[in-house]
Amino acid sequence: MAKKQEIDARHYDVILAPHITEKATLLSEFNAVVFKVARDATKPQVKEAIEAIYDRKVKGVNILVQKGKSKRWKGRPYSRTDVKKAIVTLVDGQDPIDITSGI
Amino acid sequence: MQIVETTNEGLKRAYTLTIPASSIEARIDAEVKKVAPQVRMPGFRPGKVPTNLIRKMHGASLHSEALNASLRESIDTLMRDKQLRPALQPKVDLAEGYEEGKDAEVTVELEVLPEITAPSIDGLALERLVVPVSDEALDESLAKLAGSQKSYKDAAKTKKAADGDQLIIDFVGSIDGVEFEGGKAEGAPLVLGSNQFIPGFEEQLVGVKTGEEKTITVTFPEDYPAENLKGKEAQFAITVQQVKTESETVVDEEFATSLGLESLDKLKELMKVQLEQESAGLTRTQMKRQLLDKLAADHDFEVPPTMVEAEFGQIWEQLTNEIAREENPEEGMKEIEAEKDDYRRIAERRVRLGLLLSEIGQANGVEVSQQEMRMLIQQAAQQYRQEDRQRFVDYVSQDPMAQAQLRAPLYEDKVVDFLFDKAEVTEREVTREELEAAIEAEEGGAEAKPAEKKAPAKKKAAAKKDAAEAEAPAAEADAPAEAAAEEKPAKKAPAKKAAAKADDAKAEGEDKPAKKPAAKKPAAKKADKD
Repeated sequence: MAKKQEIDARHYDVILAPHITEKATLLSEFNAVVFKVARDATKPQVKEAIEAIYDRKVKGVNILVQKGKSKRWKGRPYSRTDVKKAIVTLVDGQDPIDITSGI
Repeated sequence: MQIVETTNEGLKRAYTLTIPASSIEARIDAEVKKVAPQVRMPGFRPGKVPTNLIRKMHGASLHSEALNASLRESIDTLMRDKQLRPALQPKVDLAEGYEEGKDAEVTVELEVLPEITAPSIDGLALERLVVPVSDEALDESLAKLAGSQKSYKDAAKTKKAADGDQLIIDFVGSIDGVEFEGGKAEGAPLVLGSNQFIPGFEEQLVGVKTGEEKTITVTFPEDYPAENLKGKEAQFAITVQQVKTESETVVDEEFATSLGLESLDKLKELMKVQLEQESAGLTRTQMKRQLLDKLAADHDFEVPPTMVEAEFGQIWEQLTNEIAREENPEEGMKEIEAEKDDYRRIAERRVRLGLLLSEIGQANGVEVSQQEMRMLIQQAAQQYRQEDRQRFVDYVSQDPMAQAQLRAPLYEDKVVDFLFDKAEVTEREVTREELEAAIEAEEGGAEAKPAEKKAPAKKKAAAKKDAAEAEAPAAEADAPAEAAAEEKPAKKAPAKKAAAKADDAKAEGEDKPAKKPAAKKPAAKKADKD
């Protein structure tokens, strides 16, 4: 815990939550983990944040924005929020990140 | 799994079991595999959740489940391996400091049932005392019935009310001119001399006539239940509507029809059946006592102390309750304190007989069928209000303990019936007095031997109780409670030697009615079985 406090709080603003799905678990074969990240986060920011929070070396970061679906409610269209996801690949030979323990 | 025996004295046993972590682990794995196809989790198709995630999510509950299962299993194997028959639920303790991934250490303490050599049931000779219903007895009970159906006739206007007459009155009660709650009634029937009302009320009404108005002053007694009326002086303004005199009821056709029957013969028939049932009950009591006496005399084995203790505790509680209600509790306490040992012996005897009976039942395949069980539940449900009945039935059908409570008395009855069948029964016709005397005589004889003192009087109750206990070792049935209740008068008796016999006889009488609800079987059915 004490170690966590040294971590800059801004990193926690970047990484929002782990993205746990069937597809994401399949990615663990390639040493990759998926996170939901802030809408304005960049690849270098994500890399920095993951390295700081989990203390692992990051090989690369791929980022995508999943657009929110447009829905209708009582005939009025609206759209769900967009979600930015980051697929973080770790350098080989490290312990995998335990995503279920939360951030 | 490792088993270490730590205690083995008398009927007490204690063991320490060590369950290796790996076996618990294996169990969890198996469990995870089993639930995996059913788990749903957002982000996954049903059943596609990876096992490590399932473990994460449900690990704790799965673990405790697995631990419990392996505990149960290891205790079962312990029982099987060592051939133990526990008397009561074994006491199981998980050693402190157990954590997931460590070996679990468990201490098990229990008491085993004694080895009962299958009791020999052949060659039991019993005597059945049969009481034929005599005409005199029939007449007598008819007269009694008539007496209880008093009727009152309007008396002449000039008739002055005397003791035993019935008055129909309106009254308004007031204290210091203020009416109080519950002090008002119209058309209330009151029999003079019946002491239904507060003292002094009825006495002052002697001599009134129909239509008369009278105001009387009465003082409420100090122990009157209503707080605001205690010891107060109250005025009652009374209007006598009618004075009625008692009229003799004659046993005739009319009387029979007034009871809703077709004819006098029908009434007589009914009375006869009732009397027969009554004496059949007595006969059965007597036979059962004989039987239990014989069994008790022939068998002697060690009984589990905790069972005796539980039984004793119950008797004791019953007694103390009883005494608390008496006039001088201290003296009563002293009395029962002095006889504590006796009660302990009684408890032991009950437990022993119960074990014996259940043993006999088991050895001979006496069983309570599903159907009988259903009937029992239905009958027990009758005691409850309409809307609660279904709830009761549900409760009983779900709770094995409650079932055992219900089943126990019936089971015991069936075993006794079975033994009656087996035994050589000689029949002898006696009068009712002789039968009662026989029951008393046995008591008297037993009383001479201090060790056996009091025992016969409660044998019956004891047996019932025992069966209950044997059936549901952990459960304390309500049958036992009843048994204890019945037994109370009998128990007091020896203390007051002079009154002993009379009381015992009374206890005997109570035995029977109490027995029926307990067994929850219609008397007719029992008669059939006999």
